[in-house]
Amino acid sequence: MTISDRLFNRLVLSSVVVGFLALLAAGVTVFGTFQQNRQFNRDVDHTYQVQAALAAYQILVEQAEAARRGYLLKPNASYRAVFEDSRGDMPRALNTLKALTRDNPVQQGRVAQLENMARLQLSLMSQSAEMVRGGRQITAVGMFRSDNNLANMQSIRGVLEAVGAEEARLLKQRSDRQSRSTLMLFWTLTATGLLLLAVAGGSIFVIFQYTRDLTSSRRDLSRLNAHLEEAVDERTVDLRRANEEIQRFAYIVSHDLRSPLVNIMGFTSELEAASAPLETLISRVEETAPDLLTDEARDAVRSDLPEATGFIRASTQKMDRLINAILRLSREGRRVLAPEPLDMDALVTGIADSLKHRTDEIGATITVEPMPDLFSDRVAMEQILSNLIENATKYLKPGRSGEIVVRGHVDGSRAIFEVQDNGRGIDPKDHDRIFDLFRRSGVQDQPGEGIGLAHVRALAYRLGGIITCQSAVDEGATFRISLPSVMLSEGVSP
Amino acid sequence: MTQPVTIVMIEDDEGHARLIEKNIRRAGINNEIRHFLDGTSALEYLEASEHGPSINGPALVLLDLNLPDMSGTDILSRIKNDTGPLRRTPVVVLTTTDDKVEIQRCYDLGCNVYITKPVNYESFAQAIRQLGLFLSVIQVPDLDGAA
Repeated sequence: MTISDRLFNRLVLSSVVVGFLALLAAGVTVFGTFQQNRQFNRDVDHTYQVQAALAAYQILVEQAEAARRGYLLKPNASYRAVFEDSRGDMPRALNTLKALTRDNPVQQGRVAQLENMARLQLSLMSQSAEMVRGGRQITAVGMFRSDNNLANMQSIRGVLEAVGAEEARLLKQRSDRQSRSTLMLFWTLTATGLLLLAVAGGSIFVIFQYTRDLTSSRRDLSRLNAHLEEAVDERTVDLRRANEEIQRFAYIVSHDLRSPLVNIMGFTSELEAASAPLETLISRVEETAPDLLTDEARDAVRSDLPEATGFIRASTQKMDRLINAILRLSREGRRVLAPEPLDMDALVTGIADSLKHRTDEIGATITVEPMPDLFSDRVAMEQILSNLIENATKYLKPGRSGEIVVRGHVDGSRAIFEVQDNGRGIDPKDHDRIFDLFRRSGVQDQPGEGIGLAHVRALAYRLGGIITCQSAVDEGATFRISLPSVMLSEGVSP
Repeated sequence: MTQPVTIVMIEDDEGHARLIEKNIRRAGINNEIRHFLDGTSALEYLEASEHGPSINGPALVLLDLNLPDMSGTDILSRIKNDTGPLRRTPVVVLTTTDDKVEIQRCYDLGCNVYITKPVNYESFAQAIRQLGLFLSVIQVPDLDGAA
């Protein structure tokens, strides 16, 4: 991922986060506005209630006044009943009004004023009603005309009007506030909606973008995978071909190298055979005519020739052994491995028994500890372990009775085998070298060409294993081979 | 009737040829030895020459497997698949190859004896001398009867 990609992603992520935060703020604002709006609604509603209560009270007052006047003109029981009803209802209606206007001191004052005037009016009414009932109708009418109830009534109407006007004003104010708040709520909602749309759009865009990127990445990946498999197959075929080439090369070279060796050895023997009559001749000349014989001629025949042929022979024999070793390795490399279940206890015990003669001779012991089972190639395993155990018997420390231990254990899917001795050990700097062909370590007092361990390592590799050495001079050596418990057939293993 | 056996040696290495010849002679075999350095001329002689075993037998073939122009096994199969008297010619394969598969293949193709050329000269001389003994007891097929 490039830096600009990372920057872009961070930018996208932060804008989405900012978008969601804004959305949250918008939500809170909407909630607040909504609450406020509800309050305004309640206020407006309250004003309507006050107006309704006011109207109800006014009706009662007017009704009582009308009923009294009717009763004065015509003392009828039904007028009186209406009057009494209205009078009885008035205090409750006033109380309602009082309770509703408790929040407003100005209105409260007006209501108190109203109460006083209403009480006066009521007492005047009751007085005149009593007079009518007592038959003094004329007096009552006269009093009605003279007392100040008309003026009082006018005042009541005035106060009621003032209360009504005040409530109307409040209503207007509250309605305005309400509509403003509604408008604000509308705009806030609109803004929130737009914001929501933007955030949703942004999110969808980002998700879409990511999904598209992801799909294309996945497509790339699968294409790469397919290519990778092809590449691995190709490389495996190449490797196998190269390996076969090397095997064939080693095989051919070994044969073609042996051919001239046959000549060198053959004609060296011919030379030796030819020097025999020469030697006889020298002896005869020495006896019969010593003055004919020069020192050079005698030395040439008696020492130079045998020495030269001796060196040629020794070198040729060594070369033959080396070529044979290469041949054997190349042949081993071409052998088809046949994995089978192996009883490793029996296999190692068999190797130890085959070396019994030698170990008895040098006074060494081979201890075979319980071995894990293995599914691998029998010949290869036999060669690996017999080489290692034989080496252990070969490189013991003089004067120390040899103790060789062969042990094994399972480590996950691998089996580990160890061949440990208490012999002369191997210098750590030689630990890699000893596995190379024709390389040896330490005092060269044992026969051998430096082939065994090279062979062992080649075999271990073929079985899918590795071999390591752990040792120090004079402290014995432990060769550890780790290989799969179940060997894969060769076509499968890389 | 008896006719001397001609030894046909097909060997590209002159040194080897010389050593083989020397040892054959040392074993007391005095038959004629015809030496060929390549497969083509050897086959020419074996199949078509008027002195060759096809027309004027009998012979014994000493065959090296590594030849410059063709594989020794090709010559071996040519000899053994011949329809004429050539197929009864004994063939001794003499080569540096001691590969088991190769040896088996030679015997399958009809080779009579397989001798590995050892680098150890004593073994080599021994093998050739034994070959000489083999040559001295060889039964020459009756050409007239075979024809």
